[in-house]
This record gives sequence, C-alpha cells and structure tokens, in this order.
Amino acid sequence: MKIMKPMTTLLFTAQVCFAAMAGAAPLSITLPPETAVLKPSTLPGYPLAQQKCSTCHSADYINFQPPGMSLAQWTGEASKMQHVYGAPISDQDVNVIGAYLAVTYGSAHATDADVQAASNPPVGQAPAAPVAKVDAMALLQNNACLSCHAIDHKVVGPAYRDVAAKYANDPQALAKVTSSIQNGGTGKWGNVPMPPFAQLSPDDLKTLATFVLHP
Amino acid sequence: MKFSLLDDSKPSRRRVLRDALALAVAASPLANLAKAADESPEEVTFAAGPRPLVTYPQKRPLTLVTTRPPHLETPFPVFNEGPITPNDAFFVRYHLANFPTSIDPDSYRLTVKGMVNAPLSLSLAELKALAEPVEVVAVNQCSGNSRGFFMPRVFGAQLGNGSMGNARWVGVPLKAVLEKAGVQAGARQVTFRGLDKPVLPSTPEFIKALDISHAMDGEPMIAWSMNGTDLPFLNGYPIRLVVPGYFGTYWVKHLSEIEVIDHTYDGFFMAKGYRLPDNDCFCIAPGTTAAQTLPISKLAVRSFITNVKHGDVLPLEKRVELKGIAFDGGIGVNKVEVSIDGGQSWLEARLGEDLGRFSFREWTLPITFTSKGATQLMVRASNRAGETQPLRADWNPSGYRRHVVETSHVTVA
Repeated sequence: MKIMKPMTTLLFTAQVCFAAMAGAAPLSITLPPETAVLKPSTLPGYPLAQQKCSTCHSADYINFQPPGMSLAQWTGEASKMQHVYGAPISDQDVNVIGAYLAVTYGSAHATDADVQAASNPPVGQAPAAPVAKVDAMALLQNNACLSCHAIDHKVVGPAYRDVAAKYANDPQALAKVTSSIQNGGTGKWGNVPMPPFAQLSPDDLKTLATFVLHP
Repeated sequence: MKFSLLDDSKPSRRRVLRDALALAVAASPLANLAKAADESPEEVTFAAGPRPLVTYPQKRPLTLVTTRPPHLETPFPVFNEGPITPNDAFFVRYHLANFPTSIDPDSYRLTVKGMVNAPLSLSLAELKALAEPVEVVAVNQCSGNSRGFFMPRVFGAQLGNGSMGNARWVGVPLKAVLEKAGVQAGARQVTFRGLDKPVLPSTPEFIKALDISHAMDGEPMIAWSMNGTDLPFLNGYPIRLVVPGYFGTYWVKHLSEIEVIDHTYDGFFMAKGYRLPDNDCFCIAPGTTAAQTLPISKLAVRSFITNVKHGDVLPLEKRVELKGIAFDGGIGVNKVEVSIDGGQSWLEARLGEDLGRFSFREWTLPITFTSKGATQLMVRASNRAGETQPLRADWNPSGYRRHVVETSHVTVA
C-alpha cells in the first residue's frame, strides 16, 4: 500500500503528458483484435448465428450469458434481436438460431423434439439453405449483405466499387474477395469486422465475389 | 449542492487525506489480505466463462464483459485503493459497435438544436469558454451493475460489481449551454446523442433524454476533464454528459448533439429500454410482468466492503479494520452499519472524508472476532432521507438497480 502514492503520481503525470500531446492532434486508439468465437455445433443455427449475430456484436455477448437458459428463453432473445434491434433475420431464422443457442449454451438437447422442429423447418419454408442457381442480387438480399454494403457508397462496410477499385490490378482478386466473404475479416476497411459467411457454397461465393469485383 | 468552482488546493488536500487512510490500512492486519484480493471477487457464472482480463487503450487490465461493442469492468480490488476510481481503471460500456476510433479535438463540434432561439455549433474551445467551469465528484454506475447476481438469472451483460466508478468531473453546466442557445417556451425534454452509432440502420440509435426541468436545474454537466485530465477515449473523449446521481445510461459519451423537444422522447432507449416497474420498489415477482414501467433514474443506496472478499480467512482475537464504500443518488449517505454475525447485530462504521453528496463515501470499522468458524459480513448504508438497502434482493426483468445488502462469507480462524 505504501507504494501507492508514487505510483499514483507517476500515472497522473503520464496521463497529463499524454493529454498535452493529444491536444494538438487527433486522439486515436486501436482496439484489441476480436478473439471470441461461438461454440461449434452441427445444428444449422451455428453458421447462421456466426453470420447474422456477428454483424453487430462479438460472440462473447452470447458466450457470457447465464448458463441453463431454456429453448423458449433463447428463442425469445433471438426474437428480441430481430424485433427490437433490427437484426436482418427472418422469423424462421429466429427459431433456428434459438435452437442452436439453447442446445449449445442452455438447457436444451439436440435430440429434443422442439429443437428438431425448430432446426429443421418444413420443406418449402426454408430460405436458410439457398438454392443452387440464384443471381448475385438474390444472394445479396438473402444474406443481408446490403445491410452493411452498397454498390456506390460506404455504409458500414466499403462500397463494392471501392473494393473493385482496390483489387483492380490484383491477379489474386477473386481468391482474396472470395476468402473475405467466406471467412470474414477485419482491419482492411475500418474497425467493424465483416462476419464469415461460411455456409455459402463455392458457386455462391464465386457469384458474389465476381459481382463485387464488377459491380 | 457541493458543486464548486475549480480550486487547486482541494485535490492535494484530498490526496493527503487519502494517503493517511492508506497508511492506516497498511498498518492494519488486513493489509496483506487487501493486497491478496484478486481480480474476481464475484461469483457470477456464464454459459462459457470465466472472463479474462484484457488491456484496452489508456486502460490497465480490466475484466472483459464483451469485446464489440466494448464493455469492460473495473476489477473490484480497485475500489479498495481510495474513493476516486483512477481513469485507467474506470469501467467502459458502449451500446453500439459503430463508433470512431480517432477523434480530432480541433474539429470537434457540439451542436444544440430544436426548440432554441439560437442553434449552436460549439468548438471545444467555445464550450470551455462558455461559462465558469464547475467540478463535481460523482459516481457513474451502470443500470445493470451486478446483474450477474440476479436470481432467477436474466439475459443481458452479466455484470459483477465492477461497472461503477467515482471520478472528479470538470465541465460546464448543461444549463449554461442551454441558456446560451435560449430555450423556447413549450420545451419538454432535451435529448442527447453521441458519436457511437448502430452498425445497421435498422438498429435504434442510442439517444437519451432528460426532462427540461432536470436539464436546467444546474446539476447535469458537459464534462471534458476526469480526475484532472482529459477523458479517456473509451470514457467519452472529448466530452460527455455527466448526470450526478443518475445511472450511467444518461451519461452520453462523445456528446455531439443536444436537441430541445416539445414532447416526451419516444426513441427505443427511453421508451422501451432502460425501464423499471413503476411501483415503490421498482420490482416485480420473477416471471410476472409489470403493469406499468418508467425510465430508470436515480441511483439507489449501495454499500460494499472492499478489503474482504468471499472465502477470506480472518484472524481470531485480533483487531482488524474493515473498509469499504457507500453511495446513493445524491441525498447523501449519513450512516453505514456493518454486521459480522450474519445480520444479528449491527455496528456503526466511521465515515471517511465527504467528497460531496454524489461521491463514493469511504467508511472504516475496527472489529475483533471473538469466536471461530464461518460467519457472514454484511454492510448496509442509509442516507439523509432514511432510505436504506433491503436484506433480500428484489427483482426486475432487466436486472437493473441491484442494491441489496451485500454479504461476504468468511471464516474466522
């Protein structure tokens, strides 16, 4: 405890210096890299949650919720994200994500009948698994790409035109953009990370990357 | 009111007193114990815990609550270091992930608009010159501080007790800025917006509102200085709203826009979020729904023991000094009582220096345990209005405003 005074004084002085230096120039910070990841699962809600939830917040928002929450509670939370915070997810996505979260983080089990029902919606109502041949615009819509991107101006992420310009003379352009869509990324265009879209098929990835490079 | 104009002699006097207190603790048998107190006195459990300590810009290692948007808690032993929470240990909480990581103080502007005679666009220099600076020592506490202890558990950031802090804020009264702009008749509320924005346009913006009477009563302040230096970036650089006695949700960071409006603001973070059951206890039975709700407002009375944690072993037949903090929403704590026998009897603690009615108030109590075995230490504060803390925790669906009497399970040996 005795060393508290010199330590306090030192700290105080250091901050004043820092403030004095910052007075003339912008104060800039670099946030630490994001390392939290969602717990893996074979449920269809896992890739969906990776992609949709991480658009707005890191995985630790989920990891650090209370243990033991039920399917109804987790589904309610996913529904709150849809209705209250404007997450780009459908009613069906809410159920699929809720089931994954309740099994992975809560009290539900993958074999529960209600988890099965929520994770495997009746055929014909399932936009979660895109059909093989769709055009780029449909892919952009179905995957909520346009929540963060526009063709000609920056929204949260870069304009597709700016991405195209950046890679215009890069022979690896298609591979790089494909990888960015598939695996997500951060730091290339700003502070908000791009979530991974790991569930997209190679064809869909190629369609999207080609579109982005030639918008 | 303990607002005062800037007075250089005050902090040094405070520091001397604090050092005297620190020495008193150093001399007590609890000194080693206090030093040994580690980073997680809390026993909050998580779906995938425990939480690590992480280092963010201008901060010492703090407890991670969430990475993006960032939410970091002050490790609890910091509150044993003194009544002022150091800037590098002060908790961090953002609602929305889309905020700038570089701010130029030279081009920064605060706009004042809406129902005013003369809309303003103030540079920082103009803001600082607008009125005589005022200073207040005030607690900023998250509405959800201690949410992780709610039983039954509720969703939301699972906070321990570290989403609070006490600092010396310097700025100009909000009232002075509004008077400069000239508030028009019919004004009902004032809204506040900072540079932190939603990632998606479909997410509600983080905008808070105060009634015009509160905004004009001289207490809310636009602060640029925290404990004698610029606000740390993650605490709202270069200016934030300081609302003494009110929960942190109103203390808008990177304050950029003030609007005077003629109605009650109906945006999400006032009309739907940050609300409590509208009754005497602001509480309901778990699993039920409140008939009516209202926006959360003033801090409840709270108190903590800071130099003992759960599971500590304390000496028998030896004088030890218990130490802690207490605070309320601005009426002023005037009594702290401690029980060392699980609530059967209560002893009145000695209050430390009064840094103002919005500040942490330190307290100390010398005690001697006379019997061996397990016991519970409890602390209960009251304020000048007679408000105190309940022995049993009440409950609300959002996990806000926890203020139960805190209990530490210890062993005397």
